[in-house]
Amino acid sequence: MTKNNNRAYFFIAPFVIVFLSFNIYPILLTFYYSLTNYTGMGGIDNADFIGLDNYRRLTQDDFFFQAFFNTLKIWGANFAIQIAIAMGLALLFSDLRLKLRGLNTFRALFFLPNIITIASVALLFSILLDWNYGSLNQMLLNLGLISRPINWLNNPVYAQGWVALIGAWMWFGNTFIILMAGISGIPKDFYEAAFIDGANWWDSFTKITLPQLKPILLYVFITSIIGGLQMFDLPLLLTDGRGAPRGALNTMVIYLYNQGFSYANFGYSATIAYGLFIITIIFSVITFKTIYRSQVKVKNGGKK
Amino acid sequence: MKNSWKLATLLCGAVLLTACGSDDNGDTAETGDTDSDSGEVDLVINSFTEELQYPIDVFEERHGVNIDLQIIPGENYVDTLRPALESGSGAPDIFTAEIIYLLDWVEQDYWADLGEFGVEDWSTDYPEYAWELGRDQEGTMKALTWQVTPGGIFYRRSIAKEVFGTDDPDAMAEQFSTMEGLMEAGEQLKQAGYRLFPDEESVSGSPFTMGSNPQPWVDEDENLTMTDERMSYFDYAKELRDNEYTALAPVWSPAWYASFNEPITYNAGWDEMEEDSDGMTEVFGVSLPSWGLPHVLKIDATETAGDWAVTSGPSSYFGGGTWIGVYEGSENKDLAFEFIQMLVNDEEFLTEWVEETGDVLSYTPVMDKISEGYEDEYLGGQNHYDYFLAEAENIDASNVTRYDQRLDQMFGSAVGAYVEGDLSKEEALDSFYAEVQNAYPQINVNQD
Repeated sequence: MTKNNNRAYFFIAPFVIVFLSFNIYPILLTFYYSLTNYTGMGGIDNADFIGLDNYRRLTQDDFFFQAFFNTLKIWGANFAIQIAIAMGLALLFSDLRLKLRGLNTFRALFFLPNIITIASVALLFSILLDWNYGSLNQMLLNLGLISRPINWLNNPVYAQGWVALIGAWMWFGNTFIILMAGISGIPKDFYEAAFIDGANWWDSFTKITLPQLKPILLYVFITSIIGGLQMFDLPLLLTDGRGAPRGALNTMVIYLYNQGFSYANFGYSATIAYGLFIITIIFSVITFKTIYRSQVKVKNGGKK
Repeated sequence: MKNSWKLATLLCGAVLLTACGSDDNGDTAETGDTDSDSGEVDLVINSFTEELQYPIDVFEERHGVNIDLQIIPGENYVDTLRPALESGSGAPDIFTAEIIYLLDWVEQDYWADLGEFGVEDWSTDYPEYAWELGRDQEGTMKALTWQVTPGGIFYRRSIAKEVFGTDDPDAMAEQFSTMEGLMEAGEQLKQAGYRLFPDEESVSGSPFTMGSNPQPWVDEDENLTMTDERMSYFDYAKELRDNEYTALAPVWSPAWYASFNEPITYNAGWDEMEEDSDGMTEVFGVSLPSWGLPHVLKIDATETAGDWAVTSGPSSYFGGGTWIGVYEGSENKDLAFEFIQMLVNDEEFLTEWVEETGDVLSYTPVMDKISEGYEDEYLGGQNHYDYFLAEAENIDASNVTRYDQRLDQMFGSAVGAYVEGDLSKEEALDSFYAEVQNAYPQINVNQD
């Protein structure tokens, strides 16, 4: 009856085969690794099957929890700074009354930090932030703002702050472009009508821009948190690669990497990967639930 | 319906095929390198430096063969090469390893047993530590090294003369033979307006953390060894910082390099910067392994050429080192071994090479000949070959464990947190133990 439809399977076959062999197979293999004490050397056949021991360890692993909260903290600060700058700039450039020129130039300029390789960024900032010879401390000293150099990368709070700030610096241009696109999609009539009705800047921002921008903001939020949970290269390269100072820059993926590749605990590293996987799922579910709920609300409101 | 089942079977089949396919690849590559069959490449060598290019050129000329040197940058080397060695697919004929993971690799089936080629007969011609580190726990010889990398304290003769009244390496070695002596020298230098070292890594990065009592970090029963000397290192590190014996220029930083040539700004000019006040200081010396002389000092400290000397610190140590061996599954083992033989055991070639690079080689017959009556102008006429070869004999390979690099780093961080005043000594020690236990659950850290 539906004979013709079956042909479609041939067309999706290449994707499915690639997906199964390069995505699903490794995922399942990783799960198998997570049940062993494989060291990453000497072949998986020589590793012992240890059941759920690794998972038991993960639930009691203070280092993992620390890494989890570090990741959230750094990502949260980074997202707040980034969205604040991007939103501010987007509002400035889209303001009907200001009519700023040179949007294209600025858009390119803001995006520039994003195209520098992260290794260079890390090197650059580790030199800038150096305790005794860094330009930043030299500048602050010369301006008389501080009397002793601050050991930026040796203080957990400062170090996390800097990673958040550098991340925000690298990504605000990207967010700005997305927000600009979103804002220019809002009909100008809304603002004109509001203006005529006597709405001030704040009203039109909270009553028009924000609600209209909601889907875009959610998109920014989701992509950012997915990227944020996988934060790795910048904190790795900025200090000693093990999360110095005192574990403050130890993110979940750095922890996974070190357990697997530095300490040769491949099995446990696979378990951490699954822990990360579950955390990502939880965050995704929460986010999707939020979207779904907001849609329901609108529908109900419409009915009434 | 029927058709979709067929398709499903087809898909499963396809997946199985790809899975088997990859296995097949593994098998074929283990038995034969496809490259060597099709092209004219006779040997593939993987390494992380270009150092081997020169011996390869010589070998190619001598034997009329074609060698492909594939360089994988150091930071990716392990992660790139290890999967190839594990699976046997795409593995080279010869590959090198750094000391950091050498001891892990010799225990695997990556390198062929060099004993088959009779290398054991050579053992007396090499410093013991360099030879023994290439051996696995069962005694099989897996990898050899062509250089030795003992470390020492390089110092400026003019400053030594001014402050200590002598620039004689033996007298200085006497002064530096204990941590107390080193600190005392720091104080004397500071009084005279100099700094002992540019960086704190000159003390902490090298195994002076072990004081004059080197012990392996982890013994045969996987117990962590915390010696009194290591514990007292907490205090020395604090003394070093609190008394400002170093210029706090991070190792490899621009200021660090500058300190070899000229006075550098100390501490960004901060501090209640007392009398001497222009905030500049000259640095007395630096700890570097043997390769630091040709590759760091002679290149970057040209203005002070002739003013340097090298001597020993509180303990003998070595820094870095590259080992090389034949891949277990190589099809061309004999040729591969011939290359290694030339690299580590060929008098004619090694004499050429040492003259070319100035490295300290592991093959003592050549080194003995070279060092006889040798005087290095850069070191004010000192014979550093003699020094390094003697130092190499003092290093005990049984103190080296596969954990060293990581444990040194972790211990360094713990000491650092104490020095900064962030943690008390007990807290720092606890955090070190916790970190070790977490990274290596198999180690017993329980300190009675």
